[in-house]
Amino acid sequence: MSSSRRDFFKVLSAGTVAAASAPTTALGFDLETFFQKHFRRLDEEELTAVLRRKEAAYEKQFGKKFTVKATSAFEDVVFGYGLDITRCIGCRECVHACVAENNQSQDPEIQWIRVLEFERESAIRGIDLEKGNPYYNPEQVPQKDKFYLPIACMQCEDSLCTSVCPTGATWRSDDGIVVIDYDWCIGCRYCMAACPYGARHFNWKEPSIPEDRLNTDVHLLGNAPRKKGVVEKCHWCLHRTREGRYPACLEACPVGARKFGNLLDPESEIRQIMATKRTFVLKSELGTNPKFFYFLGGAER
Amino acid sequence: MDAPDSSEPNGYQPPPHQPLIWGVLGTVALLVVAGVSVRLSENPDAARAANVLQALPADAEATLMDEPEMDDEYDPCSDCHEEEPTNYTVREMDDEHDEMEFAHGTTWCLDCHDDEDRDALHLAGGKKVDFDNTSELCGQCHGSKIPDWKAGIHGKRTGHWRGEKEYRPCISCHNPHLPAFEKRKPKPPPKPPARNGAEVAAHEPAPAEEGGSHE
Ligand code: HEC
Ligand code: HEC
Ligand code: HEC
Ligand code: HEC
Repeated sequence: MSSSRRDFFKVLSAGTVAAASAPTTALGFDLETFFQKHFRRLDEEELTAVLRRKEAAYEKQFGKKFTVKATSAFEDVVFGYGLDITRCIGCRECVHACVAENNQSQDPEIQWIRVLEFERESAIRGIDLEKGNPYYNPEQVPQKDKFYLPIACMQCEDSLCTSVCPTGATWRSDDGIVVIDYDWCIGCRYCMAACPYGARHFNWKEPSIPEDRLNTDVHLLGNAPRKKGVVEKCHWCLHRTREGRYPACLEACPVGARKFGNLLDPESEIRQIMATKRTFVLKSELGTNPKFFYFLGGAER
Repeated sequence: MDAPDSSEPNGYQPPPHQPLIWGVLGTVALLVVAGVSVRLSENPDAARAANVLQALPADAEATLMDEPEMDDEYDPCSDCHEEEPTNYTVREMDDEHDEMEFAHGTTWCLDCHDDEDRDALHLAGGKKVDFDNTSELCGQCHGSKIPDWKAGIHGKRTGHWRGEKEYRPCISCHNPHLPAFEKRKPKPPPKPPARNGAEVAAHEPAPAEEGGSHE
């Protein structure tokens, strides 16, 4: 969409408005999508129309029936995520479960979760993300003198990415999940430059997903298939979590290092962790207020 | 039909009880290196919270999954052990069970297996524990893990964070005889970023040496 939107402005400024009635393609440039209102300005009827139109377009593109949802946030929920770095073994099960769940492109390869490997020793002095190695590939994990730190979107409360977006295509929802309206993303990548965690990824090319790996249960602002020219990132599986389910990465984790729940509920796993374990956030000095908390589950405090 | 997401881009107001949490998190900053710091929280109420957890029952909506099936070959144990007198000597098995790897701290078979009824386990006080309920046995020596496990902090829950969920018995992750979590081959690493404009995340570290293997 983004590139076609840009092209369209070029055409407009050249005065050849007639180009606007060019034939439409399944998911490329079509007029209805072009004039689609910003997600938050759609009324219920318009939204339904958008969802059905997307379903039809995806079916045409992929030859499969999709369910495109726009499930809204629970009113009494702000999500929090916990990750026990004393348990993570660096197996990357989460990475690949996320790819499959969220229709990430295989070629070019896009992976929302990166697992960084660090020297155990270095942890004593603090974690310097630049020193993390995402490409480790030993015969077996965990390696004795290493520890592993999975990183994806931190769903910051004071998110820098959303504040720099010129079109308002990305924003923080009431439940704390930072979402992207892919139809409004113009691909300027300001958000990527602003994100201190490298959590956002750009579709330089048309994404490609093997047919047998498509997830057809999608949220418009989450795992709906993207196109060339838009930015994407982890959204805590909002197509699942806004229905009360756990995120896919959490369920894929063999060691149980990943925890998820409602920060407003004192009984939730995430709040129990905050009450009883040492927790930390990455780059706290930036004031981004991440809602992704690393914790030391093995250590008693 | 789902209602649209009505949230405002920057209009988020932290709900009233949140400052409490952030207060807890905001107390200490340590481990600062090269502009990247890790902030650890310090909670004065930790001890109290731990006590509360001891008393806490497992989440009412959480169900404990079945224990993994035991090796058929030896089931029931009494087939042989009814005849054989119990051998109390701590030793390597060389007749039966010799293929079994065993490395569990300072424990020995009869700390867990009942010496009179081989079809059961037992606690130190003699109380018998069923083979389908082994987590109670583990709790005897790893008591501090139990509250964490019930609260969903140690171990793993699946299903619904809001609604029904399942959690796993200890032995679904820890072989009772070799309890250290089994090592495994990691899933494939990401491809190093191509130079020609393919995906390179803002803070992606440069790829390590060719292959990137760190063994
Ligand atoms: C095929 C016969 C057989 C079966 C079935 C069997 N065992 Fe044994 N078991 C033996 C023999 C023989 C020894 C002694 C091995 C040695 O000393 O090398 C032994 C030793 C043991 C010991 C060490 C203590 C002792 O009394 O020597 C334990 C504990 C034990 N078995 C547990 C079990 C359990 C639990 C089961 C059921 C899951 C089981 N066994 C089933 C034959 C059997
Ligand atoms: C820490 C407690 C503990 C100790 C110590 C222990 N066991 Fe077990 N053992 C168990 C539990 C729990 C099971 C049930 C496993 C299951 O249900 O899958 C079991 C199962 C078995 C079985 C059934 C087959 C299998 O491997 O699952 C055999 C045989 C057995 N134990 C023999 C022994 C022998 C021999 C020793 C001493 C060398 C020993 N155990 C030490 C807890 C223990
Ligand atoms: C009789 C006491 C006893 C019982 C019962 C017991 N353990 Fe242990 N366990 C130990 C001791 C002792 C160690 C070694 C502790 C250490 O090294 O600090 C240990 C170590 C462990 C470890 C760490 C292993 C490692 O190499 O890192 C795990 C995991 C564990 N036990 C799980 C279990 C589970 C699961 C059960 C129930 C099937 C269980 N234990 C039952 C005494 C026990
Ligand atoms: C979802 C898997 C899972 C379940 C279920 C689980 N554990 Fe663990 N546990 C782990 C992992 C992973 C470690 C990290 C240690 C390792 O690498 O061996 C661990 C570590 C431990 C240790 C070593 C001390 C420490 O904190 O590192 C003990 C003791 C232990 N577990 C006991 C238990 C007991 C008791 C239960 C049941 C009440 C249980 N575990 C349930 C995954 C699990």
